[in-house]
Amino acid sequence: MAAATTSSSKRHSILPPAQSGPKPPVQFSSSITIADSAILIGTHPITISTESVIHPRARLDSLGGRITIGRRCIVHERSTVGAVGTEGGSRSKREEQPNGVTLGDYVTVEVNASIETGDTVVGEGTHVGVGSKIGGGAVVGKHCTLTPYTVVAAGETIPDYTVIYSNGLRRQDRRGVAELRNKGQARQIEVLKRMIPSNPSKFQ
Amino acid sequence: MSRRPPRGEYIETDTGNKVARKATLVGTQNIMLGGKTVIMPEAMIRGDLVRTLQPSPSSSGAPPNNTAVAIGRYCFLSRGCCLRPPGRLYKGLFTYMPLRLGDHVFVGPGSVVQAATVGNYVHIGAKVAIGEFAIIKDYVRILDDTVVPPNMVIPSFSIVAGQPARVIGEVPEGGHEAFELRELYKTVGNNPQPAPV
Repeated sequence: MAAATTSSSKRHSILPPAQSGPKPPVQFSSSITIADSAILIGTHPITISTESVIHPRARLDSLGGRITIGRRCIVHERSTVGAVGTEGGSRSKREEQPNGVTLGDYVTVEVNASIETGDTVVGEGTHVGVGSKIGGGAVVGKHCTLTPYTVVAAGETIPDYTVIYSNGLRRQDRRGVAELRNKGQARQIEVLKRMIPSNPSKFQ
Repeated sequence: MSRRPPRGEYIETDTGNKVARKATLVGTQNIMLGGKTVIMPEAMIRGDLVRTLQPSPSSSGAPPNNTAVAIGRYCFLSRGCCLRPPGRLYKGLFTYMPLRLGDHVFVGPGSVVQAATVGNYVHIGAKVAIGEFAIIKDYVRILDDTVVPPNMVIPSFSIVAGQPARVIGEVPEGGHEAFELRELYKTVGNNPQPAPV
């Protein structure tokens, strides 16, 4: 009883309600791994391509637009893809099918990271570190590395192979290990597939 | 109308662990708690990420050790922190390795720990990211917002801060009593005691 009253008083928050939100239309490949306790909410479609892994308690929010996740992506626990940002989402508001977030292939979104909605693009092979934040409308290039607690401002464009440190320092990654990283990611997915009990039918 | 006594916020085990009902523990069968450990609400432990490669093929017939996260006594996991075992490619195969926490380890709110080993009497501040396979020795203090890079080894009695983390000082002589978490342990739970002044 007491819990019910406290939760109703908490509903005044500006944030959209957690799991009571609308169930979004989903388009899953048959080979994805999605944990039972992942949170998918919103009104726009969510597409997840082959062999991607969604960890428990990861949150995909399509309230602000369509979410597209490429092949062999890993979305870790407690990260948010499609967070409704403070300024994002304005660019594509008038369209019928606004693009929320597009993740390329081989993207890793680490724990507590948040990618805001509003035609945000994250390129192939990019690693979004722990607790990082990508603002709405930002375009992050291919094979970038965002170290923990990096902030990419809304609408910013990051060139390919950029490494961004949490103190704002940037450099170009010239090691040429993109291929190797993709291979490592594939290995990791093989293991995760066996470890995370997948339940895609819950969301369909 | 009779009502059962209200359920407490914490589950208290015989060994003195206090685990919040709102904590997210995944793969509980692979999480070892040493006793007197506090897990606050919204803390998350990934016990499902067990190692896939066993160190030696089980020749002796012993059951494989599947512990993913081992936590010592008097640890304190604050609200919103996350413990997850580190993973890497080993001999061409990806495997997770166990995460070990010693005794009297404090993990601050919102921190993400992916270390290989954390020693005894370690204080990890708020919003700290500890990279994969970092090794933290005993009596270490990690200040708030620190980013410890992967594979870093932090020696005993250091104070660490910055992004990336650097050793910025030493724990002063006699300063190690501040790491003791017995008193903090008593201040949470279903009938918490006020903290001594």
